[in-house]
Amino acid sequence: MHKCDLDISINKLSKIEGHADLDIKIRNGKAREVNLRVEENRRFYMQAVEGKPALAAPQMVSRICGTCSVAHLTCAIEAVEKALGVKSSEQTIIMRKLMMYSLMIRDHALHLYFFALPDIFGIDSILDLANNKKELIHEALHIKEAGNNLSNLIGGRAVHAPFEVVGGFVNMVDNKKVKPIVKELKSIRKYVLNLAEIFYQCQWELKRDTNFVALTTDDFSFLEGKICDSRGTCTMEKNYGKRLTKVVMPYSQAKGFEFEGSEYMVGSLSRLNLNQGSLREKTKKSMKKYLKLFPSDNIYLNNLAQAIEIMHSIDHSIELLENTEFKKEEIIKPKKQNGKGVGVVEAPRGTLYYSMEIKNGKIKKAGIATPTAQNLLNMREDLRELVSGVCQSANPKNQWEKIIKKQAERIIRAYDPCMSCASHFLKVNWK
Amino acid sequence: MAKKKKRVGIFSFTCDEGCSIFLVEIFNKKLAGWLEKIELVYFLSIKDHTDAKNMDIAVVEGSITSEEDKKRIENIRKNSKILIGMGSCAITGMPSCYRNNLNKEQLKEISGHLKKFKFLPKCMGIKEVVKLDGEVPGCPMDDKKFIEVFEKYI
Repeated sequence: MHKCDLDISINKLSKIEGHADLDIKIRNGKAREVNLRVEENRRFYMQAVEGKPALAAPQMVSRICGTCSVAHLTCAIEAVEKALGVKSSEQTIIMRKLMMYSLMIRDHALHLYFFALPDIFGIDSILDLANNKKELIHEALHIKEAGNNLSNLIGGRAVHAPFEVVGGFVNMVDNKKVKPIVKELKSIRKYVLNLAEIFYQCQWELKRDTNFVALTTDDFSFLEGKICDSRGTCTMEKNYGKRLTKVVMPYSQAKGFEFEGSEYMVGSLSRLNLNQGSLREKTKKSMKKYLKLFPSDNIYLNNLAQAIEIMHSIDHSIELLENTEFKKEEIIKPKKQNGKGVGVVEAPRGTLYYSMEIKNGKIKKAGIATPTAQNLLNMREDLRELVSGVCQSANPKNQWEKIIKKQAERIIRAYDPCMSCASHFLKVNWK
Repeated sequence: MAKKKKRVGIFSFTCDEGCSIFLVEIFNKKLAGWLEKIELVYFLSIKDHTDAKNMDIAVVEGSITSEEDKKRIENIRKNSKILIGMGSCAITGMPSCYRNNLNKEQLKEISGHLKKFKFLPKCMGIKEVVKLDGEVPGCPMDDKKFIEVFEKYI
């Protein structure tokens, strides 16, 4: 074997949410150091929210991430509601599910078409498809628009949705607007099938034995359930924080997490590995060929898993919209002013955890574990695996650096990381 | 002769990038038409190869919180004829500049981080650092207003 000593640097990884750099130091074919530096400047929301009224806190922390603001909003609302003893109505739960689905449709489509597809086609940007594959751009924008319209219908806006609050929704859904949305959602199913086929055909593989963790729900709705892992244990939402350990990553503005003392993966791949049985029947039927590939240790299948989740989100949204006559409801007021609560939802990129301690109606302490922060250590181990694989491969030595650079970016992108989120992390570990 | 396309760059500074995500939602309906008049020369979210010089229009979001942010925005200002600020952070600094309002104890807690990553003494809106030619307020920015301001310059 040739000696494999390289120092690899990638400044400003592109086609991810936010800003990160990567340095890998390779000695004797082993990645001695893998520094994925989150360069997203911290904005200190966990400090800023202290002392603010608990009912206003969710809209504030929604600003942690423009990409998945709906997930932050919904999760923080859940934490505040649990702390203050608010029990949501059935209709509110349906509307929150629809909000989460609208987010998944928009956000997964953004990642798959705008960030992941260019790698597969070997182009710089989806806009470069304007000449020979124009229909794909059209399909991408159409899927995103359908998700966007569903967000508007239920939450008033796709980014920082104004209608969703502690205790319910401040605006009633206009029943007359439901039908056109259902029609639009039905019309994009065929595009999702095309999209899934592209990722199914993609032969990329990086397999590594790791632990997959996800909130598993009966209806795959990303909202309420038990947190399970692929080693076979399950835990209640409120105990999840106790099983996480924060890990300092030198030179980075973010910190990583271990689950039960080792790295783990959260996200679409974990959800499908642990809970594919709960997908809608219609989704299972349409996606049968693709679902056979799960469970899997291949990180690249996170992309295909996202496409499957878009389909599920469409199918369940259609069912919920067709079977609900939306009524005007009063916002449920908190019964008390003090308490501790935990919210856990599945955000597009994985399990999102909020803890809120409230005193006299104000936030005393807030904590958060974002999906990307939880994935940082797993990404690091995958990059190590990549390096040893390439350094043992038959590729000519003068190409190793190029291959590692290219594939490292692909692997990081497969996680669909969000650096705005990663720069926020749990301040206190509750015992 | 066909009119030369305007060179447009889109840049994020310290923020949640909600405005650029919202911009991508505006693209759903508007992108095809705009691409006849503009060339996107910089948009790190969706492009790799970038060329942020001699721009006609730079669209910027976020706040200026570190020395690096400040250097970058000054450079973009020099390289663009028109600078449009998207969203409330670009115009006022808030909500991304919450750290300006933290109490003494909280500031002590984050002081190590501020020093290590060369944060400025105060976090600012882009408007406080360089001149903005167009402004689109809101958190996220107002979509109709953005279309109005942007289309004025293309």
